[in-house]
Amino acid sequence: MATRTNLTALLLATALPLAACSGDGSRTPAAGDGTLVIDTSFDLKTADPGRMYETTGMFVNKALYDTLLTFDGSDVKKPVPALAKSFELSDDGKVLTLKLRSGVKFSDGSPLTADDVVFSLNRVRGMKGTPSFLLEGVEVAKTDATTVTMTSKVPNPALPYILPNPVLSILNSKVVMKHGGTTDPKDKAEKYLNSASAGSGPYKLESLSVSSKVVLRANPEYYGRKPAYGKVVIRNVEAATQKLNVQRGDSQVALNLSGDQVKTVAGSLEVLKTASANVIYLHATRNKSVSKTTPNPKFAEAVRKGVDYQGLLELAGAGSVQAPGMIPSQILGALPQDQAAKRDVAGAKAALKASGLKNPKVKLEYPSEITVNGLPFQPLAERIQSNLKDVGITVDLAPAPISTAADNYRTGKEEMGLWYWGPDYPDPSDYLVFLPGKPVGQRVGWKPGTDKAVEDAGEKAATVLGEAERRQAYHDMQTELNDSGPFIPLIQPSQNIVSATSVTGLKYHPVWTVDVADLGAK
Amino acid sequence: MRRLPQAWRRLPEAWRRPLAVTGGIMALAWVVIALAAPLLAPHDPLAQDLPRLAGPGPGHWFGTDQLGRDILSRVVYGARVSLPLTLLLVALSVLIGGLLGAIAGYFGRWADEAIMRLADLVFAFPTIILAMVVAAALGPSLGNAVLAVLVVAWASYARVSRGLVLAVRGQEYVLSGRLLGFSTWRSLRVDVLPNVTGPILVLATLDMGTALLLLSGLSFLGLGAKPPSAEWGAMVASGVEVFDSWWVATFPGLAILTVVLAFNFLGDTLRDALDPRTARAIKERAL
Repeated sequence: MATRTNLTALLLATALPLAACSGDGSRTPAAGDGTLVIDTSFDLKTADPGRMYETTGMFVNKALYDTLLTFDGSDVKKPVPALAKSFELSDDGKVLTLKLRSGVKFSDGSPLTADDVVFSLNRVRGMKGTPSFLLEGVEVAKTDATTVTMTSKVPNPALPYILPNPVLSILNSKVVMKHGGTTDPKDKAEKYLNSASAGSGPYKLESLSVSSKVVLRANPEYYGRKPAYGKVVIRNVEAATQKLNVQRGDSQVALNLSGDQVKTVAGSLEVLKTASANVIYLHATRNKSVSKTTPNPKFAEAVRKGVDYQGLLELAGAGSVQAPGMIPSQILGALPQDQAAKRDVAGAKAALKASGLKNPKVKLEYPSEITVNGLPFQPLAERIQSNLKDVGITVDLAPAPISTAADNYRTGKEEMGLWYWGPDYPDPSDYLVFLPGKPVGQRVGWKPGTDKAVEDAGEKAATVLGEAERRQAYHDMQTELNDSGPFIPLIQPSQNIVSATSVTGLKYHPVWTVDVADLGAK
Repeated sequence: MRRLPQAWRRLPEAWRRPLAVTGGIMALAWVVIALAAPLLAPHDPLAQDLPRLAGPGPGHWFGTDQLGRDILSRVVYGARVSLPLTLLLVALSVLIGGLLGAIAGYFGRWADEAIMRLADLVFAFPTIILAMVVAAALGPSLGNAVLAVLVVAWASYARVSRGLVLAVRGQEYVLSGRLLGFSTWRSLRVDVLPNVTGPILVLATLDMGTALLLLSGLSFLGLGAKPPSAEWGAMVASGVEVFDSWWVATFPGLAILTVVLAFNFLGDTLRDALDPRTARAIKERAL
């Protein structure tokens, strides 16, 4: 309670003098020194860029650090320069050369050098933390004071799309090393990086509690445009309370309201509904020792035609879109909406008849307590159950806590599962894992060599270079996946962001949700 | 006109008090609802064909849930899930707990030690936590939830029945029975049982509410009823997700409330009726 009271007092303290000078009695803070309060449901383990991979971690680190490349606004189809003022990928796709911007300073005033870049990236790779896989097989080297090269063993056209990830933030190597930072698993800098930031981003870390609150202060040494808010408070609040807080004016931004919750939000607030990059999908195992029903290819077809996609979109709320393939609409190679599956009960019944299965009964597992963009899995599962009943498939629902359910899924024990995939980085190569024999394909018992057409299409998509060629290759891969694969992409639920009208420039970003430094005050 | 009051007066005083009457009517109503659910429910409780999250109004008097199912129909059908399971649960607890307690009390020595220490062990855990652990370990299903609650519920019956049996065991009429050559079983059944039944019955009735709360609590936590079955606890849980639509959680919550209240009233009445010490007070307050 004490924190809440303090916070309210603080808000009033910042708002009162401003109200006095603006004269209209609004609480809108002037640019540069106002406080912005953002409510979100924390998915936060650490603020150490090299060790995090969680939604809230991405969001916080985006404000604290700079990366070599970034994305402009919410467009993730084209990486643009950030700390690197230019970048060039060699013709064979193996060497990425980056020219560093000069005059960038860390928040302690020391200049950012090529050594910091090499140290930071090597640290992520060498620590073997959650995000290390992003730089697997990539060698980082300094060629001169302002040039860094990244050399991959295999053609790596995805690298420019990976570099904007806040995980690959550039840290002040001297400060981090002083606090136990190394480029191997013995690194001990996480504790320090949870108490202070060592970056060059628009904000500095003032305090962090992974369970309740993160406070950011504007970084006076920042090389770019000064952020509009001098202080940003990010609080861990449940969705229902987020709604109350933002309506009361206790916070200015609420990030996690569901489609149903935003329907009744007060008219004086702005509601931004954008299809998220999370794809919710069904899978039916190909492993014959797990199920006698689902490995039948006609079964997957019956399910694909039996699901009422419009009905699922209705549950997810406005702003959600159907997912025509596993690659979400924001990313290069996404299938156009006109190729999305449609409900066809007669076709589904025909497929079921052709499968030779009599009154099939399957178990559908899903995580019971987590939500994707505020949308719980339970109503989706219940609707799918009812859809498939119309077709003649009996679905037995088996919700389980995420830890249990994820364990069953990863070890390939699920007959059918309802899950979601958020991109690790906004490049379609992240979706190669769904192919036979690849990590996610393996989870559903899809062995290599069992589906030649899909594998060939995947092989081509993985190796081809050039934007137009890649787009076509990934289209083809998804069409093949949809034709014969065990995955049934369903929907991309809407990310709903509710804000006070005083906050401008809000945009949903598929990687870091919102870039705090982009927000303006009115 | 005169026959009704006469029949009324034939009821024992304890049953003529307002609380007893209210409890009786509520419990009876729920039993009727459970039996006649298919006749009373206006919709199929599983059909998702109404508008989503519509407030109470014509056609759906208790509103509809996230999936467009009629909440009135689901509450009515929910009685068919909760009531029989609660009864079964309490009956099993009485049977198992009562029997174990009687064995402990009658035979004493190592049987007493073993059974009562086991009961102490159960008492040492917070009820709901232990039930959660058992339900989670067995996997979520209503059958397992009943089993989980049973694991924690038998102990109180064992303790009460042991105490009662212990008190009766040394009575002269029991001893004379044994000396006359009654078998252990006959002695327990004829001499001991009638003295134990009353208090155990009171405990059982009072326990009915607790048992229902525990069962729906487990379902609320996702450890009981499996979706899409209409179970009150699970319905309240889905209502929590859509807090703005108050009707989704309120009506199943009220159903739980009324059933628990009804059984608590009945339990109080039963206790008063069977306890000679409260007899006079009842006479004064009877309708």
